[in-house]
Amino acid sequence: MKAAGGAGSVVGGEFVLLGGWGFTGDLTLLRLPVANLLHHKLRTALCAAAVGIGVAMMVVQLSLSHGTLNEVAQRMESVDAELIVLPRHANVIFQGGAIFPDTYVELIESAALEGEPVVAKAIPVFLDTVRLGGQQQRLFGIDPADMDGFLGSRRLRQGDLFPGGRAFKQRIEQLRGNSRRYDPERVTSDEVRRACELIIDTRLARVGGYSVGDVTEVFGQRFRIVGVVEAGVAGRVFAPIQTIRHILNGGVPWSSMFFVKLRDPGQAEVVADALARKLNANVELKTQYGSLLRDSFSQVYTYINVASAVALAVCFLFIMLTMYTLILERTREIGILKSLGATKRYVMAIVVWESVLVCSAGTVFGILLAYGIRVVIEATMPLQTVDIQWRWLVLAVAVGLVGGAISALYPGYRAARLDPAAALSFE
Amino acid sequence: MSDAILTARGICKDYRDGDRVAHVLRGIDLTVERGEFVAVMGPSGCGKTTLLNVLGLMARPTSADVLLVDGADCLSLSDRGRTTVRRERIGFVFQRFNLLRTISARGNIDLALQLRGAALDGQAARVLREVGLEECVHRKPGHLSMGEQQRVAIARAVACRPAIVLADEPTGNLDSANTQLVIDLFRRFHDAYGLTVIMITHDAGCASAADRILHMKDGMLEPVE
Ligand SMILES: Nc1ncnc2c1ncn2[C@@H]1O[C@H](COP(=O)(O)OP(=O)(O)OP(=O)(O)O)[C@@H](O)[C@H]1O
Ligand SMILES: [Mg+2]
Repeated sequence: MKAAGGAGSVVGGEFVLLGGWGFTGDLTLLRLPVANLLHHKLRTALCAAAVGIGVAMMVVQLSLSHGTLNEVAQRMESVDAELIVLPRHANVIFQGGAIFPDTYVELIESAALEGEPVVAKAIPVFLDTVRLGGQQQRLFGIDPADMDGFLGSRRLRQGDLFPGGRAFKQRIEQLRGNSRRYDPERVTSDEVRRACELIIDTRLARVGGYSVGDVTEVFGQRFRIVGVVEAGVAGRVFAPIQTIRHILNGGVPWSSMFFVKLRDPGQAEVVADALARKLNANVELKTQYGSLLRDSFSQVYTYINVASAVALAVCFLFIMLTMYTLILERTREIGILKSLGATKRYVMAIVVWESVLVCSAGTVFGILLAYGIRVVIEATMPLQTVDIQWRWLVLAVAVGLVGGAISALYPGYRAARLDPAAALSFE
Repeated sequence: MSDAILTARGICKDYRDGDRVAHVLRGIDLTVERGEFVAVMGPSGCGKTTLLNVLGLMARPTSADVLLVDGADCLSLSDRGRTTVRRERIGFVFQRFNLLRTISARGNIDLALQLRGAALDGQAARVLREVGLEECVHRKPGHLSMGEQQRVAIARAVACRPAIVLADEPTGNLDSANTQLVIDLFRRFHDAYGLTVIMITHDAGCASAADRILHMKDGMLEPVE
C-alpha cells in the first residue's frame, strides 16, 4: 500500500491516493480529465481563452501600472544625491512651480549634526510640464552645472550640455552682482532666445522623432533641443533653471524641490529627520520615492485591482458555468464511474482536475498573451513601461490554479452527490 | 453447507412520486451460489432493473431483512462502504454498454482497474484478447460496433475479477449474432473462471444458457420450471 487513508478500502491502497487531491505520481487521476478536454477541443479552447484573457488583463494592468511608476522611481534614484526635499503636504505628482525661495539652498547646506556640517550640496530643481512626444512630460529645470550629477554613468548621446544655458547663467550672475535679484528688463530677448535649450532622453527622442537642432514651442518661446542623453536619467526633458525662472518667474530664483547630496550617505535617515524639522518640509530618502509615488497613486491602484478582480471573477464564473453544464451533460458518465466504484471524492477530483487543467492552459495562454500585449503597447505607446515581473507571473499562476479549483468545487460537489442509479438511467 | 455469494431476504423498494407510492419490489428473497449463472426474466416494468440496482448497491432498498454480498453485510454499510463493496466485488454490464466515450476500449478497462488499485500489467489487453477484440484496444467506443462495445463492457466487468457480475439485458440492443457472442462469453467466463452471473433478459434463448432461471412478477421472484 502506498498510503493509508480514510477511503475505507481494503484493497485500494492506490485508490486512496487516486481519490485524494494530490498527484499519484503516475498521473492516473488526470487521464479521464485530459481525455475529456481533448474530446471537446473547441470548448476547451474557449474556456482556456476566457481564463487567458482574464489573466492577461491582470498581468498587463499590474505590469503597466507598476512598471510605469517604477520606471519613474528608478529615474529619480539615478540622481547622485541621497535626499529629496518636497513641499509639505504635496502629493508627489504635484505640478511644480515656484515653491521654495533660494534661501532654502543655504538653509539646507548649513544643516549640521552635532556641529558637523552634513550636506555636501543642495541641487535645486524647477519643475513644470511641457507637451512633447504626444504627451505631457515633466520638465526638469536644473542648473547646467548640476547636469553631471543627473547624468551619472549615463552618456550624452548627441549634442551638448546647455552651451547657451551656461552663458545665460554667467550673464545673470554678472547682472545680479552681490544682490539676490537682477532686473529682467536688462536681459535682451536675443539673450533669452539663445538660452532656450532642452536636453531630452533617448526614449523621448525616439518616440517624438526628435534630434539635436529641432525646435519646439514651450512657454511661448522657441526652445531648441541641444542634447540627447541616455534614457534612465531623472527627467525626460531638462532645461536650464535660469532660463525657466526668467521666463516663468521674472527671474526670481525659486525652486520646486531639491535633491540633497550628503557628505556621508550613511547618515541619510538621520539627516532627513533633522532637515524635515529644520525646513518644515517633506524630506524623503531618494529610495523612498517609489513608495511615495505608489501612495500618491493608491486610488488608481485600487481601481486597477478592482477592475482586475472583476475581470477574473467573470472569467471564473464562466468556468463555473461551463463545469456546471458539463456535469449535467455527463450525468451518465458519472453514473458509470459510480457503478465502477468511484468514490465521491474521486468524482469530485475528476471535475476539479478538469477545471484546473483547462485553467492552467488558460493561464499559460494568458501569460503569452500578456507578452504579446506588451509588444503592442511598447510599439504604440513607447513611453509606457510594461514591466512583467516574476511576481505577477507567480500571481497569475496562483490565481489560475486556485480560481480553476474553486470554480469547480460546487459543480464537483453536485457531481459527487448524484444518485448512482438515477445518474445511470439519465438520458 | 452451501456457499452463497449473494443472499437477499425481504428486499422491498418503493418509489415515491408525490402522494403516489409504487411498490416495485415487494419482498424479494434470493440466494445465489458462488459460481452460479442465474437468469431473471419478467415483463417490462416489473422491477428487474430496480432489483439489480439494489443487489449491486447502486440504490438502497426501502426495507430489507438481509443483504449479504460476498460475505459483506450491505445493509449496515455507509455509502462509502457500499461504494467499496461495489468497486471490489461487483461488475456491471448494461443494455446500453455504458462505456466512457472519451477514452479507448483499453482506457475504459484500465480505469476500472485503476479505481480498484490494481496494477496495469497488461490485464486490459489480456481480457480484450479473451473477448476477441485485440484489434480494438485503442479504439474509442464511438468507433466500435454495438456488439464490440458490449464485449468491451464485459471485458471491463470481468477484468477486475469481481465476485459477481450483474448484467441488465446485455443483449437487448444486439442482433442475434452478437447476442450469441455475448451469451457465449458469459458462459465461457462462467465455465472457465467460475464467474457468478445474474443476468436479466427478455430472451428465453439467452436465459436457457443459465443454470437457473427466475421469473419476476409483481415485485416477487418465482422459479421457472
Ligand atoms: N427512479 C424511479 N422513480 C419512480 N419510479 C421508477 C423509478 N425507476 C423505476 N421506476 C418504476 O419502477 C418500475 C420498475 O422499473 P424497472 O426499471 O425496475 O423495470 P424493469 O423490469 O427493468 O423494466 P424493463 O424490462 O422495461 O427494463 C417501473 O414501473 C418504473 O416506472
Ligand atoms: Mg430494466
